[in-house]
Amino acid sequence: MSNIEIKDMYFSYTENEPVLNGINLTLDSRTTAIIGQNGAGKTTFVKLLKGLLKPTHGQIFWDGKDISQMTVAQLAKYIGLVFQNPNDQIFKGKVIDEVMFGPINIGMSQEDALDHARKALSIVGLAGTEDENPYDMGLSDRKMIAIASILAMDTDVVIFDEPTIAQDYKAKEKIKQIIRQLKSDGKMVLTIIHDMDFVAECFERTIVFAKGNVLLDGPTAEVFAQKEKLTQAYLEPPHVTQLCNRLGYQQTFLTVEDFVAYVKRTLKK
Amino acid sequence: MKSISLYQDKNTVIHRIDPLSKILYILVAIIVPFLLASQIASAAFILVSIIILLMGKSLKRTVPMLGFSGLILITVVIIQGIFRPDNVTPALVLGSVVFYKEGLLFALGISLNVINILMSFSILVLTTKPSDMVETFVRMGLSPKLGYVLSSVFQIIPQMTETMATITDAQRSRGMETEGNLTTRVKAFFPLISPVVMNSLITTKERAIALEVRGFDSKQKKTFLTEVKKTRSEKVIKIVLAAVLILSLIGRVLIWLR
Amino acid sequence: MAKIVVEHLKYRYPLTDELALKDISFTIEPGEFIGIIGENNAGKSTLCQALVGIIPNFYKGAYGGKVFIDDLEVAKHSISEVCRKVGIVFQNPFNQVTGSKLTVYEEIAFGLENMGLSRTEMMERIDYSLKLLDIYQYKDRNPFDLSGGQMQRMAIASIIAMRPEVIILDEPTSQLDPQGSEEVFRAVQSLSQEGISILMVEHKMEKIAAYSDRVMLLKDGKMVAFDTPQKVFSLENLEQYGVNAPAFTRICKKLGIKNQKNGCYPVTLEEAEGAINLLKNGGIADE
Repeated sequence: MSNIEIKDMYFSYTENEPVLNGINLTLDSRTTAIIGQNGAGKTTFVKLLKGLLKPTHGQIFWDGKDISQMTVAQLAKYIGLVFQNPNDQIFKGKVIDEVMFGPINIGMSQEDALDHARKALSIVGLAGTEDENPYDMGLSDRKMIAIASILAMDTDVVIFDEPTIAQDYKAKEKIKQIIRQLKSDGKMVLTIIHDMDFVAECFERTIVFAKGNVLLDGPTAEVFAQKEKLTQAYLEPPHVTQLCNRLGYQQTFLTVEDFVAYVKRTLKK
Repeated sequence: MKSISLYQDKNTVIHRIDPLSKILYILVAIIVPFLLASQIASAAFILVSIIILLMGKSLKRTVPMLGFSGLILITVVIIQGIFRPDNVTPALVLGSVVFYKEGLLFALGISLNVINILMSFSILVLTTKPSDMVETFVRMGLSPKLGYVLSSVFQIIPQMTETMATITDAQRSRGMETEGNLTTRVKAFFPLISPVVMNSLITTKERAIALEVRGFDSKQKKTFLTEVKKTRSEKVIKIVLAAVLILSLIGRVLIWLR
Repeated sequence: MAKIVVEHLKYRYPLTDELALKDISFTIEPGEFIGIIGENNAGKSTLCQALVGIIPNFYKGAYGGKVFIDDLEVAKHSISEVCRKVGIVFQNPFNQVTGSKLTVYEEIAFGLENMGLSRTEMMERIDYSLKLLDIYQYKDRNPFDLSGGQMQRMAIASIIAMRPEVIILDEPTSQLDPQGSEEVFRAVQSLSQEGISILMVEHKMEKIAAYSDRVMLLKDGKMVAFDTPQKVFSLENLEQYGVNAPAFTRICKKLGIKNQKNGCYPVTLEEAEGAINLLKNGGIADE
C-alpha cells in the first residue's frame, strides 16, 4: 500500500508570516480527516500535496519518491483534488464532457475516459445525466459533477476540500457512500472538513491543525477524546461525543449506533 | 490587501485636504496658464505641484508616469524641433540634423502644459482615498450608482484576480497545462474563462441583491458618514485658489484692453 | 399583534413549470426564533426571498397570496422600503460586502447612508451593532481582510444597524468553521431576545433544536410542519422529508426515551442528558 510522507515541511506566502511550521506526517491507507479553524493552514497543506504550491523547506515523498518538486500536471495522475466550489471548474456544456476533461488531460484514451466518466457519474448518483448542461442543474448536483470529474481520473489519492458545505442530509449520505467506495477500491482518501459529526461517522484517522502545526493526530475516537486540546484549537467534539462527556462516560463514542449499543449493554447488566 | 489604486495611505497635511480643494487646484493650474498664455505660469504651477507632492510624500510615485509621458514628449521635441513649418532660426546643429528655435519653444510649451496637468492630477490621485474622491463627486451630483461602480472597481477587481487564481488551480489540478507554447495557452483559454464568467455572473447577482436589501435603490436623499471638513484652512485654500483664478481673468481682460 | 403574516403564498420562478412555493400560510410573533429546515430545493431560500420582497420585486414570475410585515404588504412596496422593516443575511459573507468601502465601519454605514440618516444617528447605530456582534475591535480593518465568521457577523451588523424588526438568515453559517458558526448563533439569539423576530434556514439540526422556538419543515414547496423543535423532530417520517433529526433525538428514539410530559423525544444535549440519566437511575426503557 502506498503512502505519502511529509518531512519537516515549512511554507509561507510572505517572509516572517509562516503558514506551516515544520509538518511531519505519514499519510496511509486510512481515510483521514483534517480539521481545524479557518486559517490553521489546512488548505495550504493540501495545495502543497497537490503541487499547486511548493514547500519553502522540506520534502514530500510518494512511495519514497520526492514529489515536492514535480509539476502539477505530472502529479495530476496520482493525486486528485475536489475543490470546494464546483463553479470554479465547470466549463463544458455537457456533463459527460466535463467529467472526461481530466481523464483525457492525463493521457487516457477516449474510450477509457468515457468508461471512467460513466462509472464516476454512476458512483455519485448522476448516471443518465450525461447529456445535460451542468448549469441547468442545482448547486448540489454540480458539486457531485465536480466530484465525479476527479473520480474519473482514477487517481491513487483523492482529496476533498469541504465536501459537505451546504449539503442536505441525502447529499451527505451520498458523499459518505462515495468515500467508503473509494476506500474499498484501495484509494487513499483525505478531506478538509468542519463537520465533526461527519468526521466521526466516516473517517478512521483525524489530524487537527492549529496555527500551522499538527496539534493532534490519531484514530478519530482518540482525537475526539482530547477535550482540552480540541478547545485549544477552537473545535468541539461530535454531538454524540459531547453527550458521552456530559454523562461522564470513560469511553468515547462517535456514532449514534455505538452509543445506543453501549447504553443497552449497560442497562442489561 | 491588493489594490489597483495608486493611492497610498499616509498621514500628511496634503492627504487631509478636502478632495474638492484638490479638484479646484487642478482647474486653476490648467486654466490660469491658458488664460495668461504664459509658459512661466505653467512652470510656476509645476513647481507648486512638486512642493505639494513633496509635502504629501508622494513625489517619487509620479516618476513612472512622468517617464511614460516623457517618452512621448521627447518625440514631440524632436519632430517639432526639426520639422515645424515656421522653423527659421537654427538653434542647435547635430551633424546634418538641425533643431530650430521656434519648434523647440513650441515643444517646450506643450511639454510644460502636459507636465503641469500630470502633476496637478497626481496630487488628487496619489493623496486622496479613491472612495473619498468618488464621494466628493456624488455630493456634487454624480449618481450614487455610478459612484458605487467607480469605487467598487478598486476592490472588486483584485478580488476577481483571486477567483481567477483559484480557477487556474482547479483546472491545473485536472491535468491542464497553462504554460507553454501558444497552442497550449489557446487550449487553456476556455476552461479558464468560462468559470470566470459564470462565477462573476453569480457573484454579481448575489451582490446586487445584497445591495438592494440595504436600500441601495432608495428614493430617500442619501447622507454621508464622512463629514466635509469645514476648517478655516480649507476655506482659506479655496478662497486663495478662487482669487488666483479671478486675478488671472482680470489679467486676461487687461491684456485685451491694452 | 403578529409581526409576520403570510397568507396562501404561492410562487413560480420565470421559465419554470412547477410552483416553488405552494400555498404557504403562517404567522410569527415579535421576538420569535424560527428555524427553517428541509432538503435542498424544498423552497427554503425562495420563502426567505419572498419575505423581504426580493420575490416578486427582483425575481419576476407568477406570484399569489400575501405577505405582511406589520401592516406593510411586501409585494406592493419596493425592496428599499421593505428593507427598513426586514433585513436578510445570505450564505456567502463575501458576496454581501459592498466592495465600495475601505473599512468595516464605513461598510456598516452603507445602508444608513441610503436611508438618509444623520451623521450622529449613523455613528450611534454603527457603534451599537459593532458591539452587539462583538466586532468593534475590527472597525478600522478592510472588510475583505476579515475571517469568514467575522465577515458574516459584519454582514449581520450592517443589517442590524438598519434597525429592522425582522431578520432573515439564509444558511448564514454554512461557510464558517465551528467557532464562527457558534459566534453567529449566539449573536442572533441575543437579537431575538431584544424582540427582533428571527427566521433562520440551517442544515445544522442540533443548533436549530437548541436555539429555535419553533421549527418550520418544508418539502417540495409545501409547509409540512410548523411546531416546537421537540414535536417536529419527533415526527416518525422525518427522513422522508430529507431531514436527519439531531444526534440526541436519534439516540433517544433508538433507546425509546420520550419526555413523559409532552410525549416527544429530547432534542438538545441537556434534554438527552437528563433523559438518559433518568433511565440509568431506574427509569423505564421500552425494550
